[in-house]
Amino acid sequence: MALSRAPFQPRRRRLLVGLGAAWAGTLLPQAAARASPAPDVLAPDAAAWRALSRVGYGPDTRSAQQVRDLASARDWALQQVDLAYATSQQAPQLPPGLTGFNAPLPSLFEGARREREAIRQSDAEAMAPSRGFLNDLGPRQFNRTMLQQSAAWRLYSASRPDVENPLLARLTEFWFNHLNVFAYKGPVRPFVGHYAVHVARAHALGRFEDLLLASARHPAMLFYLDQFQSVAEGSPGRDGRTRGLNENYARELMELHTLGVGGGYTQDDVRALARILTGWTVSPRDADGFQFLPRRHDSGPKRLLGQDFPRDRLAAGEREGEDAIRLLARHPATARRIAVRLAQYFVADDPSPALVQQLASTFLASQGDLREVMRTLLQSPDFWAPANRLFKTPMDFALSGLIALQDGDGDTAQAPLDRRRMVMTLAFLNDAGQPLHSWQTPDGYRFDAATWMVPEALTRRADFALALARESPEPRFLQTYLSADTRARIAQAPPALRSGLMLASPDFMYK
Amino acid sequence: MQHPKHHPRFGDRRRLLAGLAGLAGAWAAPTAFAQADRSRVDAQTGRMVLVLLRGACDGLSALVPYADPDYYARRPTIAIPAPDGTAQTALRLDAQFGLHPAMAALLPLWQQGVLAFIPAAGSPDPTRSHFDAQYHFESGIPGRSSGNSGWMNRLAGLSRQEADASLSTVRALAVGEANPAILSGDAAVQRVPRGQAAIRSGALASDRARAAVLDLYAGDDALSRSFRAGAQSRMQTAETLRSAMAAPTNAMATETQAADNGAGPARGLLLDARHLATLMQAEPALRLGFLSAGGWDTHANQGHTRGLLANNLGSLAATLVQLRQDFSRPDDVIIVASEFGRTSAENGTGGTDHGHGNAMWLIGSRVRGGRWHGQWDGLASGNLHEGRDLPVRNDYRAVLAQALRATQGVSASGLDTLFPGFAWDRSLDALFRA
Repeated sequence: MALSRAPFQPRRRRLLVGLGAAWAGTLLPQAAARASPAPDVLAPDAAAWRALSRVGYGPDTRSAQQVRDLASARDWALQQVDLAYATSQQAPQLPPGLTGFNAPLPSLFEGARREREAIRQSDAEAMAPSRGFLNDLGPRQFNRTMLQQSAAWRLYSASRPDVENPLLARLTEFWFNHLNVFAYKGPVRPFVGHYAVHVARAHALGRFEDLLLASARHPAMLFYLDQFQSVAEGSPGRDGRTRGLNENYARELMELHTLGVGGGYTQDDVRALARILTGWTVSPRDADGFQFLPRRHDSGPKRLLGQDFPRDRLAAGEREGEDAIRLLARHPATARRIAVRLAQYFVADDPSPALVQQLASTFLASQGDLREVMRTLLQSPDFWAPANRLFKTPMDFALSGLIALQDGDGDTAQAPLDRRRMVMTLAFLNDAGQPLHSWQTPDGYRFDAATWMVPEALTRRADFALALARESPEPRFLQTYLSADTRARIAQAPPALRSGLMLASPDFMYK
Repeated sequence: MQHPKHHPRFGDRRRLLAGLAGLAGAWAAPTAFAQADRSRVDAQTGRMVLVLLRGACDGLSALVPYADPDYYARRPTIAIPAPDGTAQTALRLDAQFGLHPAMAALLPLWQQGVLAFIPAAGSPDPTRSHFDAQYHFESGIPGRSSGNSGWMNRLAGLSRQEADASLSTVRALAVGEANPAILSGDAAVQRVPRGQAAIRSGALASDRARAAVLDLYAGDDALSRSFRAGAQSRMQTAETLRSAMAAPTNAMATETQAADNGAGPARGLLLDARHLATLMQAEPALRLGFLSAGGWDTHANQGHTRGLLANNLGSLAATLVQLRQDFSRPDDVIIVASEFGRTSAENGTGGTDHGHGNAMWLIGSRVRGGRWHGQWDGLASGNLHEGRDLPVRNDYRAVLAQALRATQGVSASGLDTLFPGFAWDRSLDALFRA
């Protein structure tokens, strides 16, 4: 809403529309300033760039060719929905040395327990911090090793469109971020990668309520938002004291995961939902890492969003929580919130109300079928509108660089994990303000240009690009997507810098 | 401080930053500064540093209402014991309040009369959403959750002088977050990353690489101008911070040692605070500083005199002592705030949930410290917000307004630009010395 008191403060909406207009018309920011009216369709190369950079993280030679072989970039984009779904139903392809983090949950619990044990029993001298990335450092460094493996897998899968479907990698990031967990809260660390695989990836194109329930039952989320210790008021605790409710998860489940802050719930609803969920906790021994403790459950009647819980005697206990989560997942406010977030991630910082409405309708009509929602999104004219430019986040930028360069390395299927590049990438993400698995609060990262187009931070992208591409052959296939001006300037630069300059160019900053 | 040699390509800082400001200006409505306030910051006024504790710091553990029996009744396992002179109890401030023992480093500031608290401050908006409440705090407009610039950015805009060159002057600096909402808006601001990343100039340190990259950003479009300004300020930032570290007399040398006293997420704050101080020292035009720290959302096992929260408070205290050392000119002021407070009672898991009112802290030579200001009614049920939380007795905007008027010379109409529709709170008129 504009402020009548301060007419000289532009509304964010107007500001972003202004930016969009300034960027519109072409893929090339330098030309944008000069270009007059924006064309209403993307040129074929620009459409291919958009599909490859938004549906995935960016082109390699193989995917660039795939798009060229089809009638349109739109066909390629739509194909990815079914391909990504099919891949999500299979276990991820993990390179050797990167399998530990995806072990069954009981063994992750056991590893974490052994680490505590080892640390308790060891003297301070033996506690010297260990170095290296992805080295197995023994039981004392279990959590650290699991977290490094998780990070390596995230980078690996998202930068290898030949190994992991690119849309699936995109949506794994999106849903992880929507249902964010912070690696360094409490005992979360060893479970982060498992959460990414078995919650975000596994349900990325399934039904939203299944995704939400998987998240609700996963140890990473149970630990992160303290649900694992929320119990009925007056439950017995240590030293003769009593234990009780913790509102943390119940609140964020409604505020962030589903309804949104304006979604019509009250503090009473937060309490009611927290009571409904009492008894939901972790289980170190069960395969799914979850258990419901009936004796810690508040069995009294509750009222959530105007509905009584439990619905009837048969639906009491654990079932109450399931019913509540499904109720929230199917709520119109949830449909709207998911629609806005997806549209911001894939289409525009300030998506049109019509697109949001369309996505929300699909969501409701299909009972949260995320494949249907993605199809609607990719078929919408908004996705392909030249004016809807998106600026890469640091994560987008880093992954697109990795993809472009790996391609130059020859036979990608055989290429080993490049630890040097992974370490550089993780360091860049830290410096750029988007460290992997390390956003502390449950709202997740923002994706808009207003957050990431920051003067000094832009130069760090160039810095990273030059360092990453040092000694790499030029990714010539990218030429197609660069402006004539950028190509000419790079051609005049010292040859050793040219690979890096392609990635550092203004053209490469947009997706 | 000597300025680093400019690469010829950069031209001078002023011109480049003018380019950046131009970029910002292009976004603004045409009436942008037609109504700009007449009150301005001149070179003699103080600097303001705001430390935002994201996640809702438990103010009732930091500033302990030890004389209130309800405090102990509501917090059977996490309350900080009343002062008895020993280490594991609150440190007595006056007959009502004590300080968390992990914050003992702040006690001298209280005794010197430069540290004050407003115990029940906050927003009139009752939201218990971190993200909305932070946005309300940063925009200066409670109740509106999107679409506004940050009040510190508007303040930087107000502070511009009328001479055209002043548009180029960057007055606000944030160290840490990529792009905090409090600094978003039309005025050009500087943002420097957290930690050691701030001192690295990376591949751009090579003249050849820098020239080649800048050649790609030679255009007059928004991205290119922003990039060039960023390259300039980043080289300068790195150079300033490196020379400060090299100087043996600089307080920077103590930072490693001091950082080891802390733990937890607030720990990196000390390094960021040192970077902020060094950069603001080197560039006198920088008058406004912003820092933030997370890790305060203590829903479970927050501890009492020891533990999670105690560690964070200890790190924060060490940072504030350092900030006071670096910002001790007569009109400098340091303000600490959090988006809301936590429940007055502990929850079922040894922690506290989202509440309402919270303490705000002010440090500065003009602050009438060694006492608290505003209203405090205790934690009896009848006095609580919705029967559970510390109420808001003093609007955060009124507290900020007092500080802005006293140390930044912001006029009434300027304050209304920063905090539209807020009410001046006369009960806080004694907060600053004349």
